[in-house]
Amino acid sequence: MTGTLLYNNLNIYLFVALFLLSAGILGMLYRRTLIGMLISLELIMNGAGLNYVAFNRFSKAGDAAGQVFTLFIMGISAAEAAIALGIIILIFRKYKHIEGEKLKEMKD
Amino acid sequence: MTFGEIVFILIMLLTLFSALATALTSSMIYALLSLIVTMFGISGLYIFLNAPFIAMMQILIYVGAISVLIVFAVMIAGPHYLHMKAPKGWTGLSKILTALIVPVFTFFVFVNFIMGTCRTDKKLSVITTKDIGRAFFDTYMLPFELISLLIVVSIIGAIMLALFSKGEK
Repeated sequence: MTGTLLYNNLNIYLFVALFLLSAGILGMLYRRTLIGMLISLELIMNGAGLNYVAFNRFSKAGDAAGQVFTLFIMGISAAEAAIALGIIILIFRKYKHIEGEKLKEMKD
Repeated sequence: MTFGEIVFILIMLLTLFSALATALTSSMIYALLSLIVTMFGISGLYIFLNAPFIAMMQILIYVGAISVLIVFAVMIAGPHYLHMKAPKGWTGLSKILTALIVPVFTFFVFVNFIMGTCRTDKKLSVITTKDIGRAFFDTYMLPFELISLLIVVSIIGAIMLALFSKGEK
């Protein structure tokens, strides 16, 4: 690792992406409301995008595929946020709360 | 240590701490603002990865669009959920184990199998926006069109869900 600059190293980007994934999973389990879970899901998506760009930069240099797929991830994430917002509005209108633990009608 | 490395370490620490704050703060607005700070940090990392177009798109899409959507969700749910109590049941052993199992496993794999390879780049490869546009319209034409179709369908679906379905008022 000596001799090269710190930011020209694949491992450190992988570590950041792994930390984002871990924080997202922790947030998904720690939060009780649906909005908190949605925010944590965005963290996980960002970790995936960072992984794509880092692998593209260091293992397939000169090809734009990783960046293209990161843009796809952003589009999918935007669509998912819109649908989740619609579902949250619907749940709030019907049950007057958005707590994930209390939504267990389909569990029984 | 060069100046670029110091800036990189600062951006990385900003990203890590704000990601942790996103998961763990008690206030929903603070979590959202930490998410925005995380997005800015990740866009800085994209600039260090020689991907300025992705960095710009990160700021435009995540900070500009998705955060506004989540602000709408917070606003609709009302001030009751802004300050949360301490989550109940968090102390249960099963939840802590579930939260730990994926990060610990992934970190184990990371340290054992990937850490040793230490891939660095030999030459600076530049991918311009022109290359990304060519890749979009040559190789990935069908997925590109399908993504636009997906976004249209999701927007129409969200509007249909929110407007035209009558819940129990």
